[in-house]
Amino acid sequence: MWLVPLVTRQKSPTFPIPAPSPNTARIGGSMQTDPNNVTFTGTRWDLAIVLLRGYVLMIPTIGLNRFWLTTRKRRFYWGHTDIGGDALEYSGDARQLLVGFLMALALFLPLYGLFFYLSTQSVETIIIGYGAVALGVWFLYGYAQYRARDFRLSRTLWRGIRFDQGGSALRYALRRFFWSLLNLVSLGLAYPFMAAGLWAYRYRHSWYGDRQFGFTGSWKQLALPYYLTWLAIAALLVAGLVLAQQANLVSAPWEADPAIYGWLVLLVLAGFVLVTFYRAIEISRMFSAIRLGGAALSLRLPALGLLGQYLLFVLGLLACYLVLALGGFIVLGLVAGEAFAGGGFDLDALMASMQSSIATLLAIVTGYLLFFAAFAFVSELVLGYGFWRLMARGAAISGLDSLDGVRARAEDKALAGEGLADALNVGGY
Amino acid sequence: MAIPARYYDGLVSGAQDAELRYEQDAGGALVVLGPSGAELARWPAGALHLVPAPRGEIRLGANGVADGARIVVRGDEHIGRIRATLPLLAQRQEQERGRQIRLMALSTLALAAVIAAYIFGVPLIASRLVQLVPPGWEDGVGQTVASQIEASIGGDAGLPLCDADPESLANRAIARFAQAALADTNTPFTPDVRVVRSDIPNAFAVPGGRVYFFSALLDAARTPDEFAGVLAHELGHVVHRHGMEQLVSTAGTGLLVGFILGDMTGISVAAGLGATIIDARFSRAAEREADRFAARVAQRLDFQPWALANLIGRVAQDSDFDRALALFNTHPLTEERLRDLTLLGQDRPSGLEPPFTEAEWRAISSMCRR
Repeated sequence: MWLVPLVTRQKSPTFPIPAPSPNTARIGGSMQTDPNNVTFTGTRWDLAIVLLRGYVLMIPTIGLNRFWLTTRKRRFYWGHTDIGGDALEYSGDARQLLVGFLMALALFLPLYGLFFYLSTQSVETIIIGYGAVALGVWFLYGYAQYRARDFRLSRTLWRGIRFDQGGSALRYALRRFFWSLLNLVSLGLAYPFMAAGLWAYRYRHSWYGDRQFGFTGSWKQLALPYYLTWLAIAALLVAGLVLAQQANLVSAPWEADPAIYGWLVLLVLAGFVLVTFYRAIEISRMFSAIRLGGAALSLRLPALGLLGQYLLFVLGLLACYLVLALGGFIVLGLVAGEAFAGGGFDLDALMASMQSSIATLLAIVTGYLLFFAAFAFVSELVLGYGFWRLMARGAAISGLDSLDGVRARAEDKALAGEGLADALNVGGY
Repeated sequence: MAIPARYYDGLVSGAQDAELRYEQDAGGALVVLGPSGAELARWPAGALHLVPAPRGEIRLGANGVADGARIVVRGDEHIGRIRATLPLLAQRQEQERGRQIRLMALSTLALAAVIAAYIFGVPLIASRLVQLVPPGWEDGVGQTVASQIEASIGGDAGLPLCDADPESLANRAIARFAQAALADTNTPFTPDVRVVRSDIPNAFAVPGGRVYFFSALLDAARTPDEFAGVLAHELGHVVHRHGMEQLVSTAGTGLLVGFILGDMTGISVAAGLGATIIDARFSRAAEREADRFAARVAQRLDFQPWALANLIGRVAQDSDFDRALALFNTHPLTEERLRDLTLLGQDRPSGLEPPFTEAEWRAISSMCRR
């Protein structure tokens, strides 16, 4: 019998990892009864090594290593996610991402020319032109998202069979574009219809081998929680405006009682918590509406778990920056001791000791890189990893057995990377 | 002893528990046996390769079978046995690693070459590139830039001329100097020097032929040489079309930096910082070129070119801060310019005509005083 051996676990001292749920489900057994047939076995420690290595290699490769880092990161997430005892496999490679990026460049060159031409025109033309380009980019963003999802799905294998995505990226982008305009005009009231519509489009055009996904969700599942959240946020906004009005914050921001600012921060936090709760509900209900033949996904994403990750993110970031700041002061103290003479800090003395501007440049670049690498590191390690793990833990698939006869389709080779998404800074795993 | 494995045939999704056996004959083959002992697959050893997998697991694929077909083995002991039996796998893995490293190195080299070509090439080709821009268009651009600057510095009032009468003694003297400075050049632009009222000590040229000279800088000038030097320098920007050059190279820099960072939207701080450093380098090169032009004009008219550095040094002292941030500065440090201009002005012919008569200089230096 072939059991699912657990990947050797290493515990990092910094990030306590709760004990995994013992999953020794037998392969080929009756999976329907196992509520825990989706597991994620990757450790934060392993991910941290992938990330750090990737960031360091970014320097000698002038940033090009990002394609390799993305690939490794995906292999980490995919490869440690087991469904019914079989791990997902990410079969994409860095070369495809690189080529895709170069192709996206070809699209951006004329856009750049347009920008250049616009920047030399009169002010009105500039405003109208930039507005039009911004709309165009907003449209392209949806297109890029859909293409990137296609790329990821068609490079995901489970039990030797590829996923895939059909449909038309153009149609998806058009839908998203006009829905989001409507959403803007209606002050967000159109959102549940837009969200449900886009979820349905994505999943009804997704495939596992020759089997098409289905989607049973609708706006009705989102309407109640969404409009309640909408009302609550509106109430918070009104409360904040009234508070600011009474304290004359707009006309005399510095004379106001500091307690007012405390209340405003509390209001913003309350809004953030509300949005997080709504997000958890939307993700849970929409993912739970995904069907694949006889198999059905059910997901419970705990909002408190998400909030916990956010809190951990803030703490982790603070700790990281504290360490960086201390390190920076120690280095500066060694390099330019006189700037700190007498217990104070003298910027002019510091600048005077930086005689060569190359040294200054190095200092700025190093500081900058460390600052942003720390941010990217902590957000991936806490938020990215945390979200994926919460999803895997909250997910269960019924009727997995029904997927036994799915046949492979030919590989979707038409896709060259997801360059547009990369170029437009479209996030995602 | 057989090795337990998981086998996907890549055609149908039913995964199977299997056992692996290795057969030596005919070049060797990996045989996959089902639970009942039936042969599920036979993969020739020469066709096998490793697919990236997490630690504690290996995934095998093979050429000539379905592309999703895999043999998955978990557990260090079994993995060790497979690797020992099939040393070819490690070789293939090394080859693939080498391929990836070569690709990474090659693309890095290509990118480094593009960056180097850009940084060193743009100052060389920008001036030729700009020659392709029709002067009429550049004039139009210059008017847009000028109206933007007037609105941003002068507010609603714009930048009022100190002396609105073009036929006044001062304005005629300035126009004559500008004509003389541009006499030997084939510039398509007619110079349009505007001495305007502003508290900011500054002078600059916009694309096209227009040069702004602010009253605060004129008031700071102690000799006609200083005024003539700075004016000649700004006319140098006109002749070399530096304003247009700067527009072109800023656009190119944004593109390049966006490419390096993968952020074509160019909104990140890194993009801004990188672009600033590169653009500042081009700008310093342009300043030196304009200084050299001023020195050439001083070969024909009697003024000391280093005086311009004196005037600029008087209104903008270089602080330690500037020295430390020299790479971000759009202008070379004053002491460097003074040194270079002194060298350039060493062998000036004698007996030249002064740029302005004494009466003219009196009129110019008082044109902004009410």
